[in-house]
Amino acid sequence: MHLTGLAPLVGLVAETEGTPGGDPVAGRMPILPLYGELIFGLIAFGILYFVIAKKVVPNLEKAYAARAAAIEGGMAQAEEAQAAAEAAKAQYEAQLKEARTEATQIREDARVQGSAIVAEMRGQAQAEATRITEAAHRQIEAERSQAATQLRGEVGRLSTDLASKIVGESLHDQARQTGIVDRFLAELESGNLTAQKVDS
Amino acid sequence: MEGNIAILGYGLSAIGPGIGIGLIFAAFINGVARQPEARGMLQGIAILGFALAEALAIFGLVLAFVFR
Amino acid sequence: MSLHLLGTSLVAPMASGEGEGFHAPTPEEFYWPIFGSGDWTFTRPMAVFGLSVILISWALIALTKKAAIVPGKGQWLVEQAYDFVRNGLARDIIGSKEFLRFVPLLFSLFVVILVNNLFGIIPPIQYPTMSRIAFPIALTLVVYVVYHIAGMRKKGVGHYLTGMIPKGLPKPIYVLMIPLEYAQFFLIRPLTLALRLFGNMFAGHMLLLLFVMGGEYMLLHGGIGLKITSIGSFAMALIFTAFEALIQFLQAYIFTLLAATYISDAISEEH
Repeated sequence: MHLTGLAPLVGLVAETEGTPGGDPVAGRMPILPLYGELIFGLIAFGILYFVIAKKVVPNLEKAYAARAAAIEGGMAQAEEAQAAAEAAKAQYEAQLKEARTEATQIREDARVQGSAIVAEMRGQAQAEATRITEAAHRQIEAERSQAATQLRGEVGRLSTDLASKIVGESLHDQARQTGIVDRFLAELESGNLTAQKVDS
Repeated sequence: MEGNIAILGYGLSAIGPGIGIGLIFAAFINGVARQPEARGMLQGIAILGFALAEALAIFGLVLAFVFR
Repeated sequence: MSLHLLGTSLVAPMASGEGEGFHAPTPEEFYWPIFGSGDWTFTRPMAVFGLSVILISWALIALTKKAAIVPGKGQWLVEQAYDFVRNGLARDIIGSKEFLRFVPLLFSLFVVILVNNLFGIIPPIQYPTMSRIAFPIALTLVVYVVYHIAGMRKKGVGHYLTGMIPKGLPKPIYVLMIPLEYAQFFLIRPLTLALRLFGNMFAGHMLLLLFVMGGEYMLLHGGIGLKITSIGSFAMALIFTAFEALIQFLQAYIFTLLAATYISDAISEEH
């Protein structure tokens, strides 16, 4: 690149040749390159480019790729862990549900059993009560019939005695006696026993 | 007073690009203020416009050195 | 430009300006030979650029050798920068189909420009390599060759050249359009790409030089009033150093962004 065609440039270079440094390129316009610097710059940049293209960028790209892979791998791992957690949770829930069902079952059983026991007890008590009541009834009945029989005999005897005493008429004839006593008892039961008749 | 009239020329040539760059960035700031999400796209365009406008000032600088 | 030329060393910038008043920094401040002469001088920017290449290569290889899935601090830092270039620039601009081929180039460009720019404000070096036009030109040459070759290999030479011209315009406009478009692709783009980086670094460093040298001059040669004012000058130098850091990052970003855009334009089907 020789700019000999540009008169002002050459003039300028020539004009400044007598600078204190004594170097002809010292006064060269700042927009014209020093060829040594230009070539040095090209070579040095070439070396840097070579280093970066061969060493640095591949390393960084490798790191990028590894990072992307790691992130993807991490995601897969996380998914796996999540799946495992979900499975564990499902299992736990199933167990919980089972336990709950079991508890309900037990409670139900207990309730049923309890009510059965209560019913049984009640039945037993009822039966006992019935038995006792029946026994009592039976005893009462027996006592009553006994009392009635006894009373009948007694009352008959008493009344015949009384009547015989009062009337003075012996009523020892069996048939008549029975008839009178029965009539008396019937009157007594119907409630219209005419006391006045007896009294008078 | 000593000096070179070419430097004055460079001063003059810097006026236009100065105004132009101001306008470009004013528009850029307006755009970002209205739509902050468009920043990335606008930035490239603004820098490109800035470079084109600045080229004129650079020509001025070059000519100031060439004709002196 | 008949300003007095200062010495080639910044260590004693005022040596030759003694007794003649203040001399503003000139472009010659940036020429700093170590040995040799003429076009083949070994200069300081060469040493800085070489150092940056060695440093970057060593650091990147050391930090990414393990390429662990869970990055350490250093690897994380490298990955931030790499991610920024790979996904933020290359993939978004070139498209996810073909971007991977260009990622090493774009990443190298970004890192080398960023580190060399930052050398402009890192104390023991304090020399932005890119303020010597040769280095931006070298980087631009690489981008220029790459995007033209990528376009030609993808579409074929003829189709690549005709593809630069937008279609469907009225005939007379082509008279204007064809030279403009070719100038755009073959001249304006590479020129502005190199000169933007150079201009920003050059002007930024010049500004810092001006404030530092001005402050120094006022402090050493001025009266008591000027000595106090020099504090302001140094303070401005500090503020602009912080500002420069921003510009330096931005320029590395813009250079890489434009390189990606040019590549994308060359290989994309429609234009």
